[in-house]
Amino acid sequence: MDENTRTQIGRPQDPRDGLEAVVALRRLLEALEAAQVENAFIAGWSWAQIAEALGVSKQAVHKKHARRIKDKYPGDPPRRKGT
Amino acid sequence: MMIIRFTDKSRRCVQAAWEEARMLGHDSVGDEDLLLGILRAEEGLAAEALSSLGVTLERARDESEEMFSNALSSIGISLEEIRQEAGDAFEMRIPPGRRLPLSPRAKKVLVRARKEMRRLGDNHLGTEHVLLGILHNEDGTAVRLLAGMDVSPEALEDRLYKLRSRRAAG
Repeated sequence: MDENTRTQIGRPQDPRDGLEAVVALRRLLEALEAAQVENAFIAGWSWAQIAEALGVSKQAVHKKHARRIKDKYPGDPPRRKGT
Repeated sequence: MMIIRFTDKSRRCVQAAWEEARMLGHDSVGDEDLLLGILRAEEGLAAEALSSLGVTLERARDESEEMFSNALSSIGISLEEIRQEAGDAFEMRIPPGRRLPLSPRAKKVLVRARKEMRRLGDNHLGTEHVLLGILHNEDGTAVRLLAGMDVSPEALEDRLYKLRSRRAAG
């Protein structure tokens, strides 16, 4: 990240660049959400806890992430505390 | 709904576009994914024209990644740093449960491709028509992706027509 980049933070020069940055950010956000939910799950968080922290319903978070995580960790979750 | 009669080859390219989009974490199949699909499926005149100009799947994916990374750094985010810090769970891939729509740009490409097919007097939509559709979309991501590899739409189009006439002659 050079100085030129820093001066542009939050205000890319061209509208198209600005819009594309938003698209890229959305992509990144999705990947980060998936990673963080997975980490929380492995750390033993329940879907309800994860949902609460994300500020969405339990159903929403389950629908979006459960299948992927269960496919990745078939059988018992690797590190589930509590239940 | 637009009815398109694809050739087997172009259908496989379009299917491959979906796989590429999913792998790269795109939430829709864009015009650049159609290009990557052609390269991934490695089929038809389009793939031949691309590879003759040195465009490979590997290079195109790298270029796409580069554009993604540049878009993020324009708002002060380093993809590299995030990758390192997020750890193993971080991946761009879209999980299988989620359906990816065709982006408006990719739709425009297919509409254009069908026009090219008619203009050339063909009755099935081949890979070359898809590529012509992609190239026609000057504001598209695919054209910029190609520009990043120093390949101009004109050069590709030219190569495509040459290969086509060679096929017709042979």
